[in-house]
Amino acid sequence: MAIINQATKELQVKIVYYGPGKGGKTTNLEQIHTHVQNVQEKGKLVSLATSSDRTLFFDFLPIETMAIKGFKTKFQLYTVPGQVIYNTTRQLVLRGVDGIVFVADSQYDKMAENVESFQNLQDNLKALKFDFADIPYVLQFNKRDLPDAAPVEYMEFLLNNRAVRVPSFTSIASQCEGVFEPLNMITRLLLNKFINQSGPKKA
Amino acid sequence: MPGLPPLIEEDVQMLDTALDDLLRRTDAATALIIDKGGPLICQRGALENFDATTIAALAAGSFCATQAIAERIGETGFSNIYQQGRRHSLLFCDIDDNVLLVVIFKADISAGAIKYYAAAAVRQVSQQLGKARQRSPKESMDLVSMNVVDVSNIFTQKPRP
Repeated sequence: MAIINQATKELQVKIVYYGPGKGGKTTNLEQIHTHVQNVQEKGKLVSLATSSDRTLFFDFLPIETMAIKGFKTKFQLYTVPGQVIYNTTRQLVLRGVDGIVFVADSQYDKMAENVESFQNLQDNLKALKFDFADIPYVLQFNKRDLPDAAPVEYMEFLLNNRAVRVPSFTSIASQCEGVFEPLNMITRLLLNKFINQSGPKKA
Repeated sequence: MPGLPPLIEEDVQMLDTALDDLLRRTDAATALIIDKGGPLICQRGALENFDATTIAALAAGSFCATQAIAERIGETGFSNIYQQGRRHSLLFCDIDDNVLLVVIFKADISAGAIKYYAAAAVRQVSQQLGKARQRSPKESMDLVSMNVVDVSNIFTQKPRP
């Protein structure tokens, strides 16, 4: 649930980048931090990582835009640590989440990890009493430049096989290709959701 | 998970007043009310030296991690966490399931006094949030007056050289 402050005209939303370890979640945030333009305010990228570059707790990037006229819209982008052992930490980061970008690793030998991580996401949301069907999410198939990348159709079959299919994107995050599209799409889904939620009050 | 209720002017004024009282009575530098998911709800005091948004995100993570440790050692939770520093110290106080108070104060100020007055602020804030929740028991946002811009491309990439 986004935080809305009618007094200060602020809306704060939390977007979490989720997915298996070493899949490119942190790279997404780094690229957004480096290449984003025309935002009102961009904070520092905070990374709590181990010496081997693995995210230990989370990465955090605050960005402020004017997505709704007259309202400051503060986006807070987080990543989770992907490695299996950090599950408690992932649950903590998911707290208060509004939308998710699931970053899957396109390499064939990472498919089992992708599926496991996607299941883990659903389990963790359930543990936090979220209804997965209520949380907007998009899929990002990363590392498309690698020679052993699985076909997109196969990844769709594995990860996008629910009754309602979600938007999916291909990316090479290390080259900042396909990084902004999933972010814009999740933002769009989020804002549409909020507007629809407020619909009954209009009537 | 029930989140923070929508806040109106009256709520924010009350929260600000509670924090102002705390700062006045204790000489603490800064007080923040934050959502345990990370966002900053309100802030008072001298902030020029602190990046409040990032502090809020880190404080929420740190507090929730400590709560998770508490559960694993059979504690129901730690209501306060105090971190002693050389120049500044920190006090985190649990307000309710969703919200946390963070006080940043000079290390030479008595932590006992800060804790005492922080407890009063916690009660005030908790009461006001309770009122806000009663006002809108079902989470909803009035976006009627909001004018959403073209959301298809909010974040744009700098052109490649």
